[in-house]
This record gives sequence, structure tokens and C-alpha cells, in this order.
Amino acid sequence: MKSYAFLFWGYLVVWIGLVGYLASLGRRMTALARRIERLENRREA
Amino acid sequence: MRTGLNRTFAAVLVVSAVLIGCALGLIFLVAPEEKVMGAVQKIFYFHVPIAAMTFLSVFLLLAGGAGYLWTRRAIWDHLAVAASEVGLLFCTLVLITGPIWAKPAWGVWWTWEAKLTTTLILWLLLAGCLLARRYAATPEQGARIGAVLGIVAALDVPIVYKAVDWWRGQHPIVFGPGKTNPLAPGMSEAFGVSMLAVLTLYLVLLIARIRLSSLEERIAELEDASGRFR
Repeated sequence: MKSYAFLFWGYLVVWIGLVGYLASLGRRMTALARRIERLENRREA
Repeated sequence: MRTGLNRTFAAVLVVSAVLIGCALGLIFLVAPEEKVMGAVQKIFYFHVPIAAMTFLSVFLLLAGGAGYLWTRRAIWDHLAVAASEVGLLFCTLVLITGPIWAKPAWGVWWTWEAKLTTTLILWLLLAGCLLARRYAATPEQGARIGAVLGIVAALDVPIVYKAVDWWRGQHPIVFGPGKTNPLAPGMSEAFGVSMLAVLTLYLVLLIARIRLSSLEERIAELEDASGRFR
């Protein structure tokens, strides 16, 4: 009961989950924005 | 490259990061240790706000699903998709942080008591919303099934909330009607700041996910248009 190890794992899981999801959203949005740019350029050309 | 997220979004992200730092400081440096459970009780400062955001997510999913079924406008569907995906993430974290507390407090990782079981059902319903969209024959069919499952998920929220009152169980009830604030000085402040930190982070994730759906919609439009003029 006294150990901080449980807490450490708990907090690690929370932050990896939240920050990992935020990073994945950022990556997906960047990829989509690039694709939109390509499609718009192709349309204009 | 335009992701469409503006400076206000960046500002909320920074505020969220600052609040998370403040919350961690208050939790570990200011809030006293609980007498019976000791250090492990500190998981409560994130477990409860994350659970509250799961509930908020399901209510937004209800609004998005009902709005879509009523109007058939894509923006409601974007809200429903974002709320189910972010809600599933938060519900997953609730189901992970809960057992991390339960093992030292109860001696078991999991028990089939009402609160835990109904929360697991909520997780399955949220996962079902996303799976229905992925495997539906058309995006419109996926949106319809997702909306209906979202409404069913919303019916589960009051059951999760009242589960301990209705069926009794081991899960502690810290807050609720007729309960006086049980938190010691220092604990209340840490809890309040944690709640605010998780709320701002939740909003950041929700807005980003809604924006992602808009970008996906724009791509579908552009591809549709380029297909027509080919």
C-alpha cells in the first residue's frame, strides 16, 4: 500500500495514452492537410 | 500546409499543459496522503476527472447522434465521431487506472461488481460505435448505426453513475447528493485543478478530432470532384 510504483504506472499509462493520442491526431491531420494541398494543386493545374 | 487549427487552439493546448503541471505539483507536493490508503489514493485525482470526461463525451455523442439523425448534417456526425473516439480513449484510461488503484486497495485487479461491469459495457458500446462506422456498407449507414449506438451508450451513463446506490458494491462514492465534501484541505485544490486540466485537455482532443473529420470530408469532396472531371 505504501509503494509509489502503482502510482507511477497509473500516471504513466494516463499520460502515454493522452499524449500519444494527441500526437497521432497531429500526425493524421498533417497527412490529410498535405493530401488536400496536393489535390487542390492538381485541380488548379 | 493548413490543418485549420488556429492560435486559440494552441493557446488552449498551452493552458492545458500548464494546468497539468500545476495539478501534478499540487497532487504530489501539497495534497496530504490519505490516512488509510496512503499514496495509492493519489490516482483518484486523475481517475475521477477522466471518468467525468467520459460521461461528458457520451452526452456529446448523444447530442451529435441525435442531431445527425434529425438533420443529417455532417457537422453533427463529426461531433459524434469525435465524442466516441475521445470517449473511448478516456473510458479505456478509467478502466486501466481503476484496477491500478483496486489491486492495492481491494487486493484484486477486477471484480464483477455493478459499477465496474456497467463501465465495461459503456466501453463496449463506445467501441461498437467506432466499429460500426468502420465496417458499415456506406458512410451514411455507419453514421446512422453509430448515432443509434451512441444513444444507447448515453442510457448506460446514469446506470454507471447510480450503480453503487442501486446494487451496492465495493466502489467508493466520494461525491454525490447528500454527501458533504470529504476532501481534506489541499486535496480539494489538487482535485479542482486536476479537473480543470483534464477538461482543457479533453477539449483540445475533441476539437482536434472534429477538425480531422472536416479534413476527411474535404478530401472526399475533392476526390469526388476530381473523379467527376477526369
